[in-house]
Amino acid sequence: MLSFLLPGRHDGLSLSKALPDRTLFFLVTMISFLAALTLTGANGARSLSERWQNGAAQLLTIQVPEPDQSVNNKLSTSRADTVVAALSKALPGSIVHRLTQAELNHLLTPWLGDIKDNALPLPGVIEVRLPDGSSPPDDLSKTLNDLVAGTSVERNTEWSERLKILAENLLTCATLALVAVTGVATMIIALTTRTGLSSRRNIIRILHSLGATDNYIAGRFASRTGLLALAGGISGTLLSLIPLTILFRMAAPFTAPSATITDLPEWYELTAMFPSDLLTALAALPFVAALIGWFTTQTIVRLWLLRMP
Amino acid sequence: MICLQNVYWQRERRRGHSVLHNITFTIRQGGFRWLLGPSGAGKSSLLALLNLESLPLTGQMNILGKSVSNTTPRSALVRLRHRIGMVHQDYNLIHDLSVFDNVALPLRLQKRPEDEISEEVKAILSWVGLGAHTGMPSASLSGGEQQRTALARAIVHRPEIILADEPTNALEESQAYRLLDLFDELNTMGTTVIIATHNEALVRRMPRPSLYLENGHLTCEGGE
Repeated sequence: MLSFLLPGRHDGLSLSKALPDRTLFFLVTMISFLAALTLTGANGARSLSERWQNGAAQLLTIQVPEPDQSVNNKLSTSRADTVVAALSKALPGSIVHRLTQAELNHLLTPWLGDIKDNALPLPGVIEVRLPDGSSPPDDLSKTLNDLVAGTSVERNTEWSERLKILAENLLTCATLALVAVTGVATMIIALTTRTGLSSRRNIIRILHSLGATDNYIAGRFASRTGLLALAGGISGTLLSLIPLTILFRMAAPFTAPSATITDLPEWYELTAMFPSDLLTALAALPFVAALIGWFTTQTIVRLWLLRMP
Repeated sequence: MICLQNVYWQRERRRGHSVLHNITFTIRQGGFRWLLGPSGAGKSSLLALLNLESLPLTGQMNILGKSVSNTTPRSALVRLRHRIGMVHQDYNLIHDLSVFDNVALPLRLQKRPEDEISEEVKAILSWVGLGAHTGMPSASLSGGEQQRTALARAIVHRPEIILADEPTNALEESQAYRLLDLFDELNTMGTTVIIATHNEALVRRMPRPSLYLENGHLTCEGGE
């Protein structure tokens, strides 16, 4: 297997027989598959953490009952528009947006069904995105209520803080899982190398006595395990794309910006939905597997060779 | 030149242990020595030591002008091994390889060009009478042919020292004398030769100085 990729040399080491090629290939495939899923988990946790830290925490939701009524009989300005104007003045640099009827319908449909003909009095909803690092004045709620009675201000900070901590813990767990997967890969490659060394002990002794250097022997083993790990890494990463694509399709409505929430995306649209940093990490995974294989084998063989002068 | 002074060496084995005590001798470059002694006297251990397969625990060992000890860098030992050839008692051929590839090993490990390797190996195989066997698997050869393949591998890189451990064990008398003539020819060309043997007929046929080992002690050194 894979011998077309790995031409042997005429030195008798016959590593295609000495190393359990298929076992190593399939083990690395499975480990890379797990690593790809773990990387995705870590990437997702990091994105959530950042999103909640920089996005959701900076959002204010303001509800205005009877939004289209005028503030008092003298003024023609509606209650909602009065609040919007006050917010724009009180929170410079913020983006103040009153949800349109269509957006409000879209937001509430999952909970209330089709609300076009609903007789329920719905409040006006105003979304305020504060500049990063800023916070609203403490008396904002009082100010708005003085202006338009019944206005309520919801701050997302408290929830987003909790969610941020949750996301950070998820990220730590994913990192630990990645470390564990790397450790398992290293141990498997080390054991495989030891097996190969044991089965080729006599030939290595002969080559050593004929003047083979440690570099030569370690290089022969390491290049083989490195290439097998690369092939296993490619295979495992490609395999992981199947569940990841399904996962991303399922998650698309939740990860898309609120205004664009729709049905499940078409399959061809999915390539654009994979985060670029995740794609980079997945592309690097086979090479990391190869590097782990090469380095582990070099270390094991060189330590083993120390028993010879 | 080979020079050992008060060399002590020991290796634990499953069945007892091998020991060399206080070994002292000198062989000038181009010298010849028979290495004699009963079984278990330490002849193979001494040859393995001279082939740098192990290192002395105490004492001084100087091979081809280089001092050899536990502190000698591994790269220096590799360079020295390229200047030594050894024919092992059990031939130490790699049976997965053809006769040609077995003999080519020392040259390939020295990263010589393939065309040069091909030329040298064919010439040496003709010299030992195996010119027609180059492509054969070494496992399919007779004992005598394997012995000559091992000799070809030991000399193909033109070493300055040749060590041979019971090289005529598996050979008929005529083959043994032919092999001895090959060693003599190499020695005449300036190669230092040490041959461990039980075969007294060989020693009588070619009277040369000898080292005699008994229980790991060098009991007698014949002069040149």
